[in-house]
Amino acid sequence: MLLGDFVAYQLGLYLIYGITAQGVGFLWGKAGVLPLGQALFFGVSAYSTGIIFQNVDSLSLHLVFAILTLAILGVVAYVIAAVVFKRRTNSGPYFSLITLALAMIVEQLAGTTTHITGGFNGLYGFDSIAGLDPFGSLYYLIVVCSVSVTLLLMILNTLPINLIAKAVSENEPRMQLLGFPTYALKAQAFAFSAIIAGLGGWLFASHQGIVTPTSTGFALSAELVIITAVGGRFHVFGPLIGAVVFGFLASEMRDNFVYWELLLAVVFIVVVLKAKGGLAELIVVFLDKIFPKLLSISSNEFVRTAAPPSNRVLKAGNLIFCDVHLQIGVVKILDGVSFVLPESGIVSVIGPNGAGKTTILNTITGNLFPTTGSINFEGKRIDKRPPYAALKSSIGRKQQVPSVFFSLSASDNLAVAMMAGRARVPDYFKRSTLTWYNSALTNIIDHPNVPLKTALNKTAQTLSQGHRQFLEFAMTAATEPKLLLLDEPCAGLSSEETSLMTELVREFQSQSDGLVVMVEHDMSIVEAISDKVLVLHQGRVLSFGSFLEIKNNTEVQAVYAGGTK
Amino acid sequence: MSTILLINIAWQVSTLALVTLGLAIVFGKLKIMNMAHGEFVMIGAYAPIITSSLGLATWLQLPICIITVSLVALILERTIIRHLYGRMFDSLLATWGVSILLREIVELVFGRSYQSVPQPVTGTIDIFGTDYPAYRVVIFLFVIFGFIVLAWWNKRSKVATQLKAMVENPELAQAIGINTGRLSAGAFVFGCATAGLAGLLLAPTVQVEPMMGLDYLLKSFFALVVGGLGGLDGLAVGSSIIAGTQSIVSVAYSQTAGYLAVLVLSIFFLWLKPDGIRASS
Repeated sequence: MLLGDFVAYQLGLYLIYGITAQGVGFLWGKAGVLPLGQALFFGVSAYSTGIIFQNVDSLSLHLVFAILTLAILGVVAYVIAAVVFKRRTNSGPYFSLITLALAMIVEQLAGTTTHITGGFNGLYGFDSIAGLDPFGSLYYLIVVCSVSVTLLLMILNTLPINLIAKAVSENEPRMQLLGFPTYALKAQAFAFSAIIAGLGGWLFASHQGIVTPTSTGFALSAELVIITAVGGRFHVFGPLIGAVVFGFLASEMRDNFVYWELLLAVVFIVVVLKAKGGLAELIVVFLDKIFPKLLSISSNEFVRTAAPPSNRVLKAGNLIFCDVHLQIGVVKILDGVSFVLPESGIVSVIGPNGAGKTTILNTITGNLFPTTGSINFEGKRIDKRPPYAALKSSIGRKQQVPSVFFSLSASDNLAVAMMAGRARVPDYFKRSTLTWYNSALTNIIDHPNVPLKTALNKTAQTLSQGHRQFLEFAMTAATEPKLLLLDEPCAGLSSEETSLMTELVREFQSQSDGLVVMVEHDMSIVEAISDKVLVLHQGRVLSFGSFLEIKNNTEVQAVYAGGTK
Repeated sequence: MSTILLINIAWQVSTLALVTLGLAIVFGKLKIMNMAHGEFVMIGAYAPIITSSLGLATWLQLPICIITVSLVALILERTIIRHLYGRMFDSLLATWGVSILLREIVELVFGRSYQSVPQPVTGTIDIFGTDYPAYRVVIFLFVIFGFIVLAWWNKRSKVATQLKAMVENPELAQAIGINTGRLSAGAFVFGCATAGLAGLLLAPTVQVEPMMGLDYLLKSFFALVVGGLGGLDGLAVGSSIIAGTQSIVSVAYSQTAGYLAVLVLSIFFLWLKPDGIRASS
């Protein structure tokens, strides 16, 4: 039985690393955050478990402290990540370097605070949890934990929270305009992965009976990332496969094959360049060829349930710009813009290139902050707020180049939009949320001429430009904004599609009775649907009135026909 | 502060600037997060060992260093790096794999043990009343001189302008006839060769072993984060702050504290000012 016991011991260790790596896989593969210092949570958990076991005897207290440790790790991880991500949207690589630096700090501290951690000799002299034998029954505990984590991740894969995580990693600015505080979502993913790493560390302490600084530092963190990458970061099983396969291979090869580490490095490079999904992806693709139906989950896109009303109080209000200036370097993009828009209707914003039209939209949603001046909507100041606060004020925005989630299907894109500003925490864990529809959405999707109904299963990447425009419009309309900002909604559309889009905009406005602000170049569209027209020129308002008034305004004519400034 | 502390700080700052220069080019200009940067320094540091084990004359250390490092860099650029321009995360991962690869190869060839390299210039020089190792003074002067030359080249040379154009707008640069493939490869190889040269120069002052690169990698990255990717002045500022902090805290408290101070400082910069003090406009 000795061989069996030893294999159980080894397999137990690899499963422990596998569990930890699954946390990395979720964080990296789903949420798009690469942690280079995950061993810090693993090691800190292992150390505190060892210290507790050294000083406390009762099993129930051990379990209480375990839960406490995991909770504290989660909170600390959340705070670190939230603070960093809130600062900047695209701080991905920098965050990775921060986690690396933190792991190195912890490794240094673990090695030097000898009176707490035992220094480089390690922390030992404690028994495993409930006295389970690392060569015997502890293995079963490890398997139970591994299965639980795997099941948890697999269930999460089917829930709306999965879509949210993927959407955040795919297109963060779009998520922010949909009202999601992406920094908090990424921080939550980081905290979740930290708790899983902490679970690994807790098991590790029992398994090894000794904790050394190498359990906290750069080398182990690097190994976890490599296991995850090569095993497969996009599938729940990937990191497990990576940990077990490479664990066994390494123990076999390390003594016999001198070039083992070299080979591992080459494999890692190849995976990064060519096979991003690692082994798990290759397996899934292979299985898919043999058993095509086995792995596909049928989606119920024809099932619709009524979505609850949105979370905001939907009241309209005037949009007021008060002497807004925006200067970047020496360039004055907005040079004293003031206007008051009506509470409802369609207002077109026109002007030559460089007039500041898109910048106006950017200042409304908080993508840019005015240098001076104020912007008010619904009686509240809305300048100087981050973009994810825009939806709270019922402001929705459609971008000039359609900004959707390319790797998600069209129906998944719509599902994410339906959750925006509407879903409460429990809704993210219910499958029924994925079937939400409301009248704003059905007006568009069920419209006979809108080409999306038959393309719902296609990924947004495979849709044509025109279809993406309609998709993004549908997503924005679904959030039922009282102020809808459209940036050249007909860009790239054929003349038929243009009349269709114009009709949809008009219909939306008559349903919502709110304000639609539309940046447009095509004068026929402007003439067809605008109640009022705002003319911008060189960062200032040139004129504001009905289309006819604008058309007959000599200054506007000069600007468009090439008159002097 | 005592004279020797100030001289030491000057030494640390200049060596960090020397080591970081390669990364400033590869990461700052080409936006490749070269995690193998430290390994190029390490390979350069092994050049004297290669030379002596092959029984060659000492003066051949310099050409062997440059040739070896440039060759490795060129092979890597043509096979791996060329796919990674503009993909920061992927460049981080792939070059990390490369760093493991290079470390393993060196370990297989030379073993893990520490090696030492004799100093080409021995003895001390009297500076402001203190005796300081002559070799270090030589390196310090070389670094100052080298940077002046580099700053002049950056301002005047046509290649430097083409590089700036390519980084700003690669497609437009190609459209006006700049061979961006060759330019990027040249810049990458130059950056790595600089790292190798730094390794060669520093070899007599440190323990040469396969793992020595990691420390240089992190310090170089942190120097660039603090100083900003905006060119030579960012490099100077970043190196001064990082090396200065480590020197002062190490003397005031301990080596570990010095190391920790650098890490904490870098985290603050990564968090609050990721573009550095002197970011490129």
